[in-house]
Amino acid sequence: MAYIINRVLSVLLTLFLISVITFAVTNILPGDVAMMIMGTQSNPEALAGLRESLGLNDPLIVQYGRWIGGLLTGDWGHSLVFREPIAPLIAQKVVASGVIVVMSMTIALLFAIPLGVWAAIHRDRWQDSTASTSALVGVSLPDFFWGIMLILLFARALGWFPSSGFVHPADDLLGAIRHAFLPSLALGLGLMAHLTRMTRSTMIGILQQEFIRVARAKGLAEREVVWSYGLRNAIGPVLTVAGLQVGYLFGSIIVVESLFNYTGMGWLTYQALLNRDIPLIQSSVFVIAAVVMLTNLLVDLLYVVIDPRIRLS
Amino acid sequence: MRGFMTGKGLLGGGIVITMLLVAILAPLFIPDTFATRMDMRARLSGPSLDHIFGTDQLGRDLFYRVVLGAQTSVMIAGAAVLMSVVIGLPLGIISGYYGGVIDNVLMRLVDTLLSFPALLLALTISAVLGPNLTNTIIAIGIAFTPFLARIIRGEALRVAQMPYVEAARAAGTTDLKMIIRHVLPNIMPAIIVQGTISLAFAILAEAGLSFLGLGTQPPDASWGLMIQASRDYLDVAPWTALVPGAAVAITVLGLNMFGDVLRDVLDPRTQT
Repeated sequence: MAYIINRVLSVLLTLFLISVITFAVTNILPGDVAMMIMGTQSNPEALAGLRESLGLNDPLIVQYGRWIGGLLTGDWGHSLVFREPIAPLIAQKVVASGVIVVMSMTIALLFAIPLGVWAAIHRDRWQDSTASTSALVGVSLPDFFWGIMLILLFARALGWFPSSGFVHPADDLLGAIRHAFLPSLALGLGLMAHLTRMTRSTMIGILQQEFIRVARAKGLAEREVVWSYGLRNAIGPVLTVAGLQVGYLFGSIIVVESLFNYTGMGWLTYQALLNRDIPLIQSSVFVIAAVVMLTNLLVDLLYVVIDPRIRLS
Repeated sequence: MRGFMTGKGLLGGGIVITMLLVAILAPLFIPDTFATRMDMRARLSGPSLDHIFGTDQLGRDLFYRVVLGAQTSVMIAGAAVLMSVVIGLPLGIISGYYGGVIDNVLMRLVDTLLSFPALLLALTISAVLGPNLTNTIIAIGIAFTPFLARIIRGEALRVAQMPYVEAARAAGTTDLKMIIRHVLPNIMPAIIVQGTISLAFAILAEAGLSFLGLGTQPPDASWGLMIQASRDYLDVAPWTALVPGAAVAITVLGLNMFGDVLRDVLDPRTQT
Protein backbone atom coordinates (compact mmCIF):
# COMPACT_ATOMS: atom_id res chain seq x y z
CA MET A 1 0.00 0.00 0.00
CA ALA A 2 2.77 2.39 0.96
CA TYR A 3 4.44 1.55 -2.33
CA ILE A 4 1.34 2.44 -4.33
CA ILE A 5 0.80 5.75 -2.53
CA ASN A 6 4.45 6.57 -3.05
CA ARG A 7 4.22 5.72 -6.71
CA VAL A 8 1.08 7.81 -7.27
CA LEU A 9 2.65 10.82 -5.52
CA SER A 10 5.74 10.47 -7.64
CA VAL A 11 3.61 10.33 -10.81
CA LEU A 12 1.75 13.49 -9.79
CA LEU A 13 5.02 15.27 -9.09
CA THR A 14 6.39 14.24 -12.49
CA LEU A 15 3.20 15.39 -14.25
CA PHE A 16 3.53 18.73 -12.48
CA LEU A 17 7.17 19.06 -13.59
CA ILE A 18 6.20 18.10 -17.15
CA SER A 19 3.62 20.90 -17.16
CA VAL A 20 6.14 23.42 -15.82
CA ILE A 21 8.75 22.48 -18.42
CA THR A 22 6.20 22.59 -21.25
CA PHE A 23 4.95 25.99 -20.14
CA ALA A 24 8.46 27.36 -19.69
CA VAL A 25 9.71 26.19 -23.10
CA THR A 26 6.74 27.66 -24.97
CA ASN A 27 7.02 30.95 -23.12
CA ILE A 28 10.47 31.79 -24.41
CA LEU A 29 8.82 32.17 -27.82
CA PRO A 30 9.37 35.59 -29.29
CA GLY A 31 5.94 37.07 -30.04
CA ASP A 32 2.82 35.99 -28.19
CA VAL A 33 -0.68 34.71 -28.77
CA ALA A 34 -2.09 38.21 -29.34
CA MET A 35 0.45 38.79 -32.10
CA MET A 36 -0.43 35.40 -33.60
CA ILE A 37 -4.13 36.27 -33.68
CA MET A 38 -3.85 39.79 -35.08
CA GLY A 39 -0.71 39.55 -37.19
CA THR A 40 2.49 41.58 -36.97
CA GLN A 41 1.05 44.55 -38.90
CA SER A 42 -1.80 45.17 -36.49
CA ASN A 43 -2.67 48.37 -34.68
CA PRO A 44 -0.54 48.57 -31.48
CA GLU A 45 -3.48 49.79 -29.39
CA ALA A 46 -5.75 46.97 -30.49
CA LEU A 47 -2.89 44.55 -29.80
CA ALA A 48 -2.42 45.96 -26.30
CA GLY A 49 -6.17 45.66 -25.69
CA LEU A 50 -6.21 42.03 -26.80
CA ARG A 51 -3.15 41.27 -24.64
CA GLU A 52 -4.94 42.72 -21.66
CA SER A 53 -8.14 40.78 -22.31
CA LEU A 54 -6.21 37.51 -22.85
CA GLY A 55 -4.36 38.11 -19.61
CA LEU A 56 -0.94 38.16 -21.27
CA ASN A 57 0.17 41.06 -19.09
CA ASP A 58 -0.26 39.01 -15.94
CA PRO A 59 2.84 37.58 -14.28
CA LEU A 60 3.93 34.23 -15.72
CA ILE A 61 3.00 32.39 -12.56
CA VAL A 62 -0.61 33.63 -12.86
CA GLN A 63 -0.69 32.64 -16.53
CA TYR A 64 0.65 29.22 -15.64
CA GLY A 65 -2.00 28.85 -12.92
CA ARG A 66 -4.72 29.72 -15.41
CA TRP A 67 -3.39 27.21 -17.95
CA ILE A 68 -3.05 24.36 -15.48
CA GLY A 69 -6.46 25.20 -14.00
CA GLY A 70 -7.93 24.95 -17.49
CA LEU A 71 -6.19 21.62 -18.11
CA LEU A 72 -7.63 20.20 -14.90
CA THR A 73 -11.17 21.42 -15.53
CA GLY A 74 -11.30 20.34 -19.18
CA ASP A 75 -11.05 23.83 -20.67
CA TRP A 76 -7.94 23.47 -22.81
CA GLY A 77 -8.46 26.66 -24.78
CA HIS A 78 -8.77 27.18 -28.55
CA SER A 79 -6.34 26.27 -31.29
CA LEU A 80 -5.30 29.32 -33.29
CA VAL A 81 -4.75 27.35 -36.51
CA PHE A 82 -7.72 25.00 -36.43
CA ARG A 83 -10.05 27.49 -34.72
CA GLU A 84 -11.50 24.68 -32.62
CA PRO A 85 -11.50 23.82 -28.93
CA ILE A 86 -8.29 21.90 -28.18
CA ALA A 87 -9.54 19.12 -25.89
CA PRO A 88 -11.86 17.37 -28.40
CA LEU A 89 -9.30 17.92 -31.16
CA ILE A 90 -6.61 16.11 -29.16
CA ALA A 91 -8.99 13.36 -28.01
CA GLN A 92 -9.72 12.55 -31.64
CA LYS A 93 -6.05 12.56 -32.71
CA VAL A 94 -4.99 10.36 -29.80
CA VAL A 95 -7.20 7.58 -31.20
CA ALA A 96 -5.51 7.83 -34.60
CA SER A 97 -2.02 7.66 -33.09
CA GLY A 98 -3.09 4.92 -30.71
CA VAL A 99 -3.90 2.74 -33.73
CA ILE A 100 -0.43 3.05 -35.28
CA VAL A 101 1.42 2.84 -31.97
CA VAL A 102 -0.33 -0.44 -31.11
CA MET A 103 0.07 -1.81 -34.64
CA SER A 104 3.75 -0.95 -34.92
CA MET A 105 4.50 -2.36 -31.47
CA THR A 106 2.65 -5.58 -32.39
CA ILE A 107 4.54 -5.92 -35.68
CA ALA A 108 7.85 -5.25 -33.92
CA LEU A 109 7.35 -7.73 -31.06
CA LEU A 110 5.86 -10.41 -33.34
CA PHE A 111 9.03 -10.55 -35.42
CA ALA A 112 11.72 -9.32 -33.03
CA ILE A 113 11.28 -11.99 -30.34
CA PRO A 114 11.54 -15.09 -32.58
CA LEU A 115 14.32 -13.46 -34.60
CA GLY A 116 16.29 -12.52 -31.49
CA VAL A 117 15.90 -15.98 -29.98
CA TRP A 118 16.88 -17.59 -33.28
CA ALA A 119 20.03 -15.45 -33.42
CA ALA A 120 20.86 -16.23 -29.79
CA ILE A 121 20.61 -20.02 -30.12
CA HIS A 122 22.82 -19.91 -33.22
CA ARG A 123 25.27 -17.51 -31.64
CA ASP A 124 28.24 -16.58 -33.89
CA ARG A 125 26.98 -18.72 -36.73
CA TRP A 126 25.53 -17.54 -40.05
CA GLN A 127 22.00 -17.32 -38.66
CA ASP A 128 23.23 -14.96 -35.97
CA SER A 129 25.28 -12.78 -38.30
CA THR A 130 22.36 -12.53 -40.73
CA ALA A 131 19.91 -11.50 -38.02
CA SER A 132 22.35 -9.22 -36.21
CA THR A 133 23.53 -7.49 -39.37
CA SER A 134 19.97 -6.88 -40.59
CA ALA A 135 19.06 -5.53 -37.17
CA LEU A 136 22.06 -3.20 -37.19
CA VAL A 137 21.09 -1.91 -40.63
CA GLY A 138 17.53 -1.57 -39.39
CA VAL A 139 18.44 0.69 -36.46
CA SER A 140 20.59 2.82 -38.75
CA LEU A 141 17.91 3.80 -41.25
CA PRO A 142 15.80 6.87 -40.43
CA ASP A 143 12.06 6.12 -40.02
CA PHE A 144 11.10 8.52 -42.77
CA PHE A 145 13.47 6.73 -45.10
CA TRP A 146 11.66 3.45 -44.37
CA GLY A 147 8.46 5.39 -44.99
CA ILE A 148 9.59 6.62 -48.40
CA MET A 149 10.72 3.12 -49.40
CA LEU A 150 7.38 1.65 -48.31
CA ILE A 151 5.46 4.30 -50.25
CA LEU A 152 7.50 3.58 -53.38
CA LEU A 153 7.06 -0.18 -53.07
CA PHE A 154 3.60 -0.83 -51.60
CA ALA A 155 1.70 2.28 -52.65
CA ARG A 156 3.22 3.37 -55.96
CA ALA A 157 4.59 0.18 -57.53
CA LEU A 158 2.23 -2.47 -56.18
CA GLY A 159 -0.75 -0.32 -55.19
CA TRP A 160 -1.65 -2.57 -52.24
CA PHE A 161 -1.96 0.10 -49.57
CA PRO A 162 -2.90 3.80 -49.59
CA SER A 163 0.05 6.12 -48.98
CA SER A 164 -1.83 8.83 -47.13
CA GLY A 165 -4.83 9.66 -44.98
CA PHE A 166 -6.56 8.39 -41.85
CA VAL A 167 -9.82 6.45 -41.50
CA HIS A 168 -11.48 6.18 -38.09
CA PRO A 169 -11.71 2.55 -36.92
CA ALA A 170 -15.30 3.09 -35.81
CA ASP A 171 -16.32 4.07 -39.35
CA ASP A 172 -14.50 1.37 -41.28
CA LEU A 173 -12.24 -1.02 -39.42
CA LEU A 174 -10.63 -2.58 -42.48
CA GLY A 175 -10.08 0.83 -44.07
CA ALA A 176 -8.53 2.06 -40.83
CA ILE A 177 -6.07 -0.83 -40.75
CA ARG A 178 -5.22 -0.40 -44.43
CA HIS A 179 -4.49 3.31 -43.94
CA ALA A 180 -2.53 2.70 -40.76
CA PHE A 181 -0.53 -0.19 -42.18
CA LEU A 182 2.29 1.60 -43.99
CA PRO A 183 2.94 4.19 -41.27
CA SER A 184 2.91 1.41 -38.67
CA LEU A 185 5.33 -0.67 -40.70
CA ALA A 186 7.64 2.35 -41.13
CA LEU A 187 7.67 2.81 -37.36
CA GLY A 188 7.71 -0.91 -36.62
CA LEU A 189 10.75 -1.85 -38.71
CA GLY A 190 13.16 0.36 -36.80
CA LEU A 191 11.64 -0.75 -33.52
CA MET A 192 11.83 -4.39 -34.55
CA ALA A 193 15.53 -4.05 -35.31
CA HIS A 194 16.14 -2.54 -31.90
CA LEU A 195 14.14 -5.18 -30.04
CA THR A 196 15.79 -8.00 -31.99
CA ARG A 197 19.17 -6.80 -30.73
CA MET A 198 17.79 -6.58 -27.21
CA THR A 199 16.18 -10.04 -27.30
CA ARG A 200 19.35 -11.59 -28.68
CA SER A 201 21.64 -10.17 -25.99
CA THR A 202 19.22 -10.98 -23.15
CA MET A 203 18.75 -14.54 -24.40
CA ILE A 204 22.51 -15.07 -24.75
CA GLY A 205 22.93 -14.02 -21.13
CA ILE A 206 20.19 -16.34 -19.93
CA LEU A 207 21.24 -19.36 -21.97
CA GLN A 208 24.61 -19.31 -20.16
CA GLN A 209 23.03 -19.70 -16.74
CA GLU A 210 23.05 -22.70 -14.46
CA PHE A 211 19.36 -23.58 -14.60
CA ILE A 212 19.57 -23.91 -18.38
CA ARG A 213 22.42 -26.41 -17.99
CA VAL A 214 20.39 -28.29 -15.42
CA ALA A 215 17.38 -28.36 -17.73
CA ARG A 216 19.55 -29.73 -20.54
CA ALA A 217 21.24 -32.22 -18.23
CA LYS A 218 17.98 -33.70 -17.11
CA GLY A 219 17.22 -34.41 -20.76
CA LEU A 220 14.57 -31.84 -21.66
CA ALA A 221 14.06 -31.27 -25.37
CA GLU A 222 16.12 -28.31 -26.59
CA ARG A 223 12.98 -26.61 -27.84
CA GLU A 224 11.49 -26.68 -24.36
CA VAL A 225 14.73 -25.46 -22.79
CA VAL A 226 14.88 -22.46 -25.12
CA TRP A 227 11.25 -21.44 -25.29
CA SER A 228 9.85 -22.22 -21.86
CA TYR A 229 12.98 -21.89 -19.71
CA GLY A 230 14.97 -19.32 -21.67
CA LEU A 231 12.40 -17.02 -23.23
CA ARG A 232 10.22 -16.95 -20.14
CA ASN A 233 13.09 -15.29 -18.29
CA ALA A 234 14.00 -13.00 -21.16
CA ILE A 235 10.53 -11.63 -21.75
CA GLY A 236 10.55 -9.22 -18.79
CA PRO A 237 13.63 -7.24 -19.79
CA VAL A 238 12.52 -7.25 -23.43
CA LEU A 239 9.08 -5.86 -22.56
CA THR A 240 10.70 -3.21 -20.36
CA VAL A 241 12.80 -2.05 -23.27
CA ALA A 242 9.75 -2.16 -25.53
CA GLY A 243 7.95 0.08 -23.03
CA LEU A 244 10.85 2.51 -22.95
CA GLN A 245 10.71 2.60 -26.73
CA VAL A 246 7.22 4.11 -26.57
CA GLY A 247 8.90 7.43 -25.90
CA TYR A 248 11.03 7.01 -28.99
CA LEU A 249 7.92 5.99 -30.93
CA PHE A 250 6.12 9.19 -29.95
CA GLY A 251 9.05 11.18 -31.30
CA SER A 252 9.02 9.24 -34.54
CA ILE A 253 5.29 9.56 -35.14
CA ILE A 254 5.81 13.27 -35.74
CA VAL A 255 7.95 12.52 -38.78
CA VAL A 256 6.07 9.44 -39.97
CA GLU A 257 2.54 10.83 -39.58
CA SER A 258 3.59 13.96 -41.46
CA LEU A 259 5.07 11.88 -44.26
CA PHE A 260 1.91 9.79 -44.61
CA ASN A 261 -0.48 12.67 -43.95
CA TYR A 262 -1.90 10.52 -41.19
CA THR A 263 -3.79 12.95 -38.97
CA GLY A 264 -2.83 11.79 -35.47
CA MET A 265 -1.06 13.41 -32.52
CA GLY A 266 2.26 13.58 -34.35
CA TRP A 267 0.71 15.35 -37.29
CA LEU A 268 -1.22 17.69 -34.98
CA THR A 269 1.88 18.58 -32.97
CA TYR A 270 3.79 19.23 -36.18
CA GLN A 271 1.07 21.59 -37.46
CA ALA A 272 1.07 23.37 -34.10
CA LEU A 273 4.88 23.78 -34.14
CA LEU A 274 4.99 24.86 -37.78
CA ASN A 275 2.32 27.52 -37.23
CA ARG A 276 3.50 28.50 -33.76
CA ASP A 277 0.04 27.77 -32.38
CA ILE A 278 1.14 28.26 -28.77
CA PRO A 279 -1.94 26.93 -26.92
CA LEU A 280 -1.99 23.83 -29.12
CA ILE A 281 1.79 23.29 -28.74
CA GLN A 282 1.45 23.42 -24.96
CA SER A 283 -1.42 20.95 -24.78
CA SER A 284 -0.10 18.44 -27.30
CA VAL A 285 3.44 18.42 -25.94
CA PHE A 286 2.04 17.96 -22.44
CA VAL A 287 -0.22 15.11 -23.55
CA ILE A 288 2.60 13.28 -25.36
CA ALA A 289 5.00 13.55 -22.39
CA ALA A 290 2.26 12.44 -19.99
CA VAL A 291 1.37 9.43 -22.16
CA VAL A 292 5.04 8.40 -22.36
CA MET A 293 5.48 8.72 -18.61
CA LEU A 294 2.31 6.76 -17.83
CA THR A 295 3.25 4.01 -20.30
CA ASN A 296 6.55 3.57 -18.51
CA LEU A 297 4.72 3.31 -15.21
CA LEU A 298 2.39 0.69 -16.69
CA VAL A 299 5.36 -1.35 -17.93
CA ASP A 300 6.94 -1.21 -14.48
CA LEU A 301 3.75 -2.57 -12.94
CA LEU A 302 3.37 -5.18 -15.69
CA TYR A 303 6.88 -6.42 -14.96
CA VAL A 304 5.82 -7.37 -11.45
CA VAL A 305 2.93 -9.40 -12.89
CA ILE A 306 5.15 -11.19 -15.41
CA ASP A 307 7.99 -11.87 -13.03
CA PRO A 308 6.69 -12.53 -9.49
CA ARG A 309 10.28 -12.70 -8.18
CA ILE A 310 10.43 -8.91 -8.43
CA ARG A 311 8.66 -7.74 -5.31
CA LEU A 312 7.53 -4.21 -4.75
CA SER A 313 10.10 -2.52 -2.60
CA MET B 1 43.82 -2.45 -30.34
CA ARG B 2 43.18 -6.07 -31.33
CA GLY B 3 39.48 -5.63 -30.58
CA PHE B 4 39.15 -3.23 -33.51
CA MET B 5 40.56 -5.73 -36.00
CA THR B 6 37.25 -7.50 -36.56
CA GLY B 7 35.16 -7.17 -39.71
CA LYS B 8 32.72 -4.97 -37.87
CA GLY B 9 35.43 -2.79 -36.33
CA LEU B 10 37.28 -2.28 -39.60
CA LEU B 11 34.14 -1.59 -41.63
CA GLY B 12 32.62 0.72 -39.00
CA GLY B 13 35.90 2.55 -38.39
CA GLY B 14 36.50 2.82 -42.14
CA ILE B 15 33.07 4.37 -42.72
CA VAL B 16 33.48 6.82 -39.83
CA ILE B 17 36.95 7.93 -40.96
CA THR B 18 35.84 8.27 -44.59
CA MET B 19 32.82 10.36 -43.64
CA LEU B 20 34.95 12.60 -41.42
CA LEU B 21 37.48 13.09 -44.22
CA VAL B 22 34.71 13.87 -46.71
CA ALA B 23 33.09 16.32 -44.31
CA ILE B 24 36.38 18.12 -43.63
CA LEU B 25 38.16 17.92 -46.98
CA ALA B 26 35.34 18.18 -49.53
CA PRO B 27 34.56 21.86 -48.83
CA LEU B 28 38.28 22.68 -49.20
CA PHE B 29 38.69 21.11 -52.61
CA ILE B 30 35.26 21.22 -54.24
CA PRO B 31 33.91 24.69 -54.99
CA ASP B 32 30.37 25.40 -53.78
CA THR B 33 29.22 26.09 -57.30
CA PHE B 34 29.51 22.40 -58.17
CA ALA B 35 26.60 21.72 -55.85
CA THR B 36 24.55 24.80 -56.69
CA ARG B 37 24.97 25.00 -60.47
CA MET B 38 21.55 24.42 -62.04
CA ASP B 39 21.11 22.67 -65.33
CA MET B 40 17.49 23.04 -66.33
CA ARG B 41 17.84 20.74 -69.31
CA ALA B 42 19.03 17.92 -67.06
CA ARG B 43 16.39 18.23 -64.32
CA LEU B 44 15.64 15.00 -62.43
CA SER B 45 17.89 12.99 -64.73
CA GLY B 46 18.95 9.55 -63.59
CA PRO B 47 22.50 8.47 -62.76
CA SER B 48 24.75 8.88 -65.81
CA LEU B 49 28.37 9.55 -66.68
CA ASP B 50 27.79 13.30 -66.39
CA HIS B 51 26.04 13.02 -63.03
CA ILE B 52 26.94 9.74 -61.37
CA PHE B 53 24.15 10.00 -58.76
CA GLY B 54 21.71 11.87 -61.05
CA THR B 55 20.30 15.35 -60.55
CA ASP B 56 17.57 16.97 -58.45
CA GLN B 57 14.50 19.01 -59.40
CA LEU B 58 16.66 22.02 -60.30
CA GLY B 59 19.17 19.99 -62.28
CA ARG B 60 21.82 20.18 -59.54
CA ASP B 61 24.33 17.36 -59.30
CA LEU B 62 23.39 15.01 -56.45
CA PHE B 63 26.89 13.62 -56.01
CA TYR B 64 28.33 17.03 -55.19
CA ARG B 65 25.31 17.96 -53.08
CA VAL B 66 25.57 14.84 -50.96
CA VAL B 67 29.36 15.17 -50.59
CA LEU B 68 29.18 18.83 -49.61
CA GLY B 69 26.11 18.20 -47.43
CA ALA B 70 28.22 15.84 -45.31
CA GLN B 71 29.87 18.83 -43.69
CA THR B 72 26.56 20.26 -42.42
CA SER B 73 25.22 16.95 -41.12
CA VAL B 74 28.46 15.86 -39.45
CA MET B 75 29.14 19.31 -38.00
CA ILE B 76 25.65 19.66 -36.51
CA ALA B 77 25.73 16.16 -35.03
CA GLY B 78 29.24 16.62 -33.62
CA ALA B 79 28.54 20.01 -32.10
CA ALA B 80 25.22 18.85 -30.63
CA VAL B 81 26.75 15.81 -28.95
CA LEU B 82 29.66 17.91 -27.68
CA MET B 83 27.17 20.35 -26.21
CA SER B 84 25.19 17.62 -24.45
CA VAL B 85 28.40 16.14 -23.00
CA VAL B 86 29.60 19.56 -21.81
CA ILE B 87 26.28 20.19 -20.02
CA GLY B 88 25.65 16.59 -18.98
CA LEU B 89 29.11 15.93 -17.56
CA PRO B 90 29.07 18.34 -14.60
CA LEU B 91 25.40 17.53 -13.87
CA GLY B 92 26.04 13.79 -13.95
CA ILE B 93 29.26 13.93 -11.92
CA ILE B 94 27.85 16.21 -9.23
CA SER B 95 24.76 14.04 -8.97
CA GLY B 96 26.61 10.73 -8.87
CA TYR B 97 29.57 11.83 -6.78
CA TYR B 98 27.80 13.83 -4.08
CA GLY B 99 24.48 11.95 -4.04
CA GLY B 100 21.92 13.02 -1.44
CA VAL B 101 19.52 15.90 -2.00
CA ILE B 102 21.36 17.33 -5.02
CA ASP B 103 21.20 13.94 -6.69
CA ASN B 104 17.50 13.55 -5.91
CA VAL B 105 16.56 16.95 -7.30
CA LEU B 106 18.74 16.73 -10.42
CA MET B 107 17.68 13.21 -11.30
CA ARG B 108 14.01 13.98 -10.78
CA LEU B 109 14.43 16.78 -13.31
CA VAL B 110 16.37 14.54 -15.69
CA ASP B 111 13.76 11.78 -15.45
CA THR B 112 11.02 14.28 -16.20
CA LEU B 113 12.92 15.54 -19.23
CA LEU B 114 13.30 11.93 -20.37
CA SER B 115 9.49 11.72 -20.59
CA PHE B 116 9.71 14.10 -23.53
CA PRO B 117 10.66 12.17 -26.66
CA ALA B 118 14.06 13.59 -27.72
CA LEU B 119 12.85 14.39 -31.22
CA LEU B 120 9.78 16.20 -29.87
CA LEU B 121 11.95 18.22 -27.50
CA ALA B 122 14.37 19.10 -30.29
CA LEU B 123 11.54 20.06 -32.67
CA THR B 124 9.85 22.22 -30.03
CA ILE B 125 13.08 24.03 -29.11
CA SER B 126 13.92 24.56 -32.76
CA ALA B 127 10.43 25.91 -33.52
CA VAL B 128 10.63 28.17 -30.47
CA LEU B 129 14.08 29.57 -31.26
CA GLY B 130 13.45 29.76 -35.00
CA PRO B 131 14.98 27.09 -37.22
CA ASN B 132 18.50 27.69 -38.49
CA LEU B 133 21.85 25.92 -38.30
CA THR B 134 22.91 27.15 -34.85
CA ASN B 135 19.52 26.56 -33.29
CA THR B 136 19.42 23.04 -34.73
CA ILE B 137 22.63 22.31 -32.82
CA ILE B 138 21.20 23.84 -29.63
CA ALA B 139 17.92 21.96 -30.02
CA ILE B 140 19.53 18.55 -30.52
CA GLY B 141 22.16 19.30 -27.87
CA ILE B 142 19.57 20.11 -25.21
CA ALA B 143 17.34 17.20 -26.23
CA PHE B 144 20.21 14.72 -25.76
CA THR B 145 21.51 16.15 -22.47
CA PRO B 146 19.19 14.34 -20.02
CA PHE B 147 20.15 10.98 -21.45
CA LEU B 148 23.88 11.63 -21.21
CA ALA B 149 23.56 13.13 -17.73
CA ARG B 150 21.82 9.93 -16.61
CA ILE B 151 24.53 7.67 -18.00
CA ILE B 152 27.34 9.80 -16.56
CA ARG B 153 25.63 9.92 -13.17
CA GLY B 154 25.45 6.13 -13.07
CA GLU B 155 29.13 5.84 -13.93
CA ALA B 156 30.18 8.50 -11.41
CA LEU B 157 28.16 6.74 -8.73
CA ARG B 158 29.89 3.46 -9.51
CA VAL B 159 33.35 5.00 -9.44
CA ALA B 160 32.66 6.99 -6.25
CA GLN B 161 32.15 3.70 -4.40
CA MET B 162 35.43 2.18 -5.56
CA PRO B 163 38.06 1.34 -2.93
CA TYR B 164 40.65 3.55 -4.62
CA VAL B 165 38.39 6.57 -4.20
CA GLU B 166 37.96 5.72 -0.54
CA ALA B 167 41.72 5.33 -0.19
CA ALA B 168 42.35 8.68 -1.85
CA ARG B 169 39.77 10.29 0.39
CA ALA B 170 41.46 8.82 3.47
CA ALA B 171 44.72 10.30 2.20
CA GLY B 172 43.06 13.72 2.25
CA THR B 173 42.39 14.33 -1.43
CA THR B 174 40.01 17.24 -2.04
CA ASP B 175 36.77 16.71 -3.97
CA LEU B 176 37.85 18.71 -6.98
CA LYS B 177 41.14 16.87 -7.24
CA MET B 178 39.36 13.57 -6.74
CA ILE B 179 36.93 14.28 -9.56
CA ILE B 180 39.67 15.35 -11.97
CA ARG B 181 42.24 12.70 -11.02
CA HIS B 182 40.09 9.66 -10.26
CA VAL B 183 36.48 10.00 -11.32
CA LEU B 184 36.86 11.62 -14.73
CA PRO B 185 39.49 9.24 -16.16
CA ASN B 186 37.51 6.22 -15.02
CA ILE B 187 34.21 7.29 -16.55
CA MET B 188 35.84 8.39 -19.82
CA PRO B 189 35.41 5.02 -21.62
CA ALA B 190 31.66 5.05 -20.99
CA ILE B 191 31.40 8.64 -22.19
CA ILE B 192 33.29 7.84 -25.39
CA VAL B 193 31.04 4.86 -26.11
CA GLN B 194 27.83 6.77 -25.40
CA GLY B 195 29.11 9.77 -27.34
CA THR B 196 29.71 7.65 -30.42
CA ILE B 197 26.26 6.09 -30.23
CA SER B 198 24.72 9.53 -29.60
CA LEU B 199 26.45 10.80 -32.74
CA ALA B 200 24.50 8.22 -34.74
CA PHE B 201 21.26 9.39 -33.14
CA ALA B 202 22.20 13.03 -33.71
CA ILE B 203 22.71 12.43 -37.44
CA LEU B 204 19.25 10.85 -37.55
CA ALA B 205 17.77 13.70 -35.51
CA GLU B 206 19.27 16.35 -37.78
CA ALA B 207 17.88 14.54 -40.81
CA GLY B 208 14.47 14.30 -39.14
CA LEU B 209 14.40 17.96 -38.14
CA SER B 210 15.50 19.16 -41.55
CA PHE B 211 13.06 16.78 -43.22
CA LEU B 212 10.25 18.50 -41.31
CA GLY B 213 11.56 21.96 -42.21
CA LEU B 214 12.50 22.72 -38.59
CA GLY B 215 16.23 22.10 -38.92
CA THR B 216 18.82 23.29 -41.42
CA GLN B 217 17.38 25.87 -43.81
CA PRO B 218 18.31 26.48 -47.45
CA PRO B 219 20.75 27.58 -48.80
CA ASP B 220 22.69 25.37 -46.33
CA ALA B 221 22.68 21.87 -47.81
CA SER B 222 22.02 18.91 -45.55
CA TRP B 223 20.97 15.34 -46.16
CA GLY B 224 17.61 15.70 -44.42
CA LEU B 225 16.82 18.77 -46.48
CA MET B 226 17.62 16.86 -49.70
CA ILE B 227 15.23 14.07 -48.72
CA GLN B 228 12.54 16.62 -47.95
CA ALA B 229 12.99 18.23 -51.38
CA SER B 230 12.69 14.83 -53.04
CA ARG B 231 9.21 14.12 -51.65
CA ASP B 232 7.35 15.67 -54.58
CA TYR B 233 9.39 13.80 -57.17
CA LEU B 234 9.41 10.29 -55.73
CA ASP B 235 7.46 8.84 -58.67
CA VAL B 236 9.65 10.19 -61.42
CA ALA B 237 13.02 10.39 -59.68
CA PRO B 238 13.32 8.04 -56.68
CA TRP B 239 17.11 8.47 -56.65
CA THR B 240 16.66 12.03 -55.32
CA ALA B 241 15.54 10.39 -52.05
CA LEU B 242 17.72 7.28 -52.25
CA VAL B 243 21.05 9.11 -52.56
CA PRO B 244 20.82 11.31 -49.45
CA GLY B 245 18.94 8.53 -47.60
CA ALA B 246 21.79 6.13 -48.29
CA ALA B 247 24.30 8.74 -47.10
CA VAL B 248 22.47 9.02 -43.77
CA ALA B 249 22.06 5.27 -43.46
CA ILE B 250 25.70 4.42 -44.22
CA THR B 251 27.04 7.07 -41.83
CA VAL B 252 24.74 5.99 -39.01
CA LEU B 253 25.50 2.33 -39.68
CA GLY B 254 29.23 3.07 -39.52
CA LEU B 255 28.84 4.93 -36.23
CA ASN B 256 26.69 2.14 -34.75
CA MET B 257 29.20 -0.55 -35.76
CA PHE B 258 32.08 1.50 -34.44
CA GLY B 259 30.13 2.18 -31.24
CA ASP B 260 29.44 -1.56 -30.74
CA VAL B 261 33.12 -2.39 -31.13
CA LEU B 262 34.21 0.51 -28.91
CA ARG B 263 31.91 -0.80 -26.22
CA ASP B 264 33.38 -4.30 -26.47
CA VAL B 265 36.90 -2.91 -26.20
CA LEU B 266 36.56 -0.04 -23.73
CA ASP B 267 33.59 -0.98 -21.64
CA PRO B 268 33.36 -4.76 -21.53
CA ARG B 269 31.04 -4.80 -18.53
CA THR B 270 28.05 -3.81 -20.61
CA GLN B 271 26.93 -6.16 -23.36
CA THR B 272 25.38 -5.31 -26.68
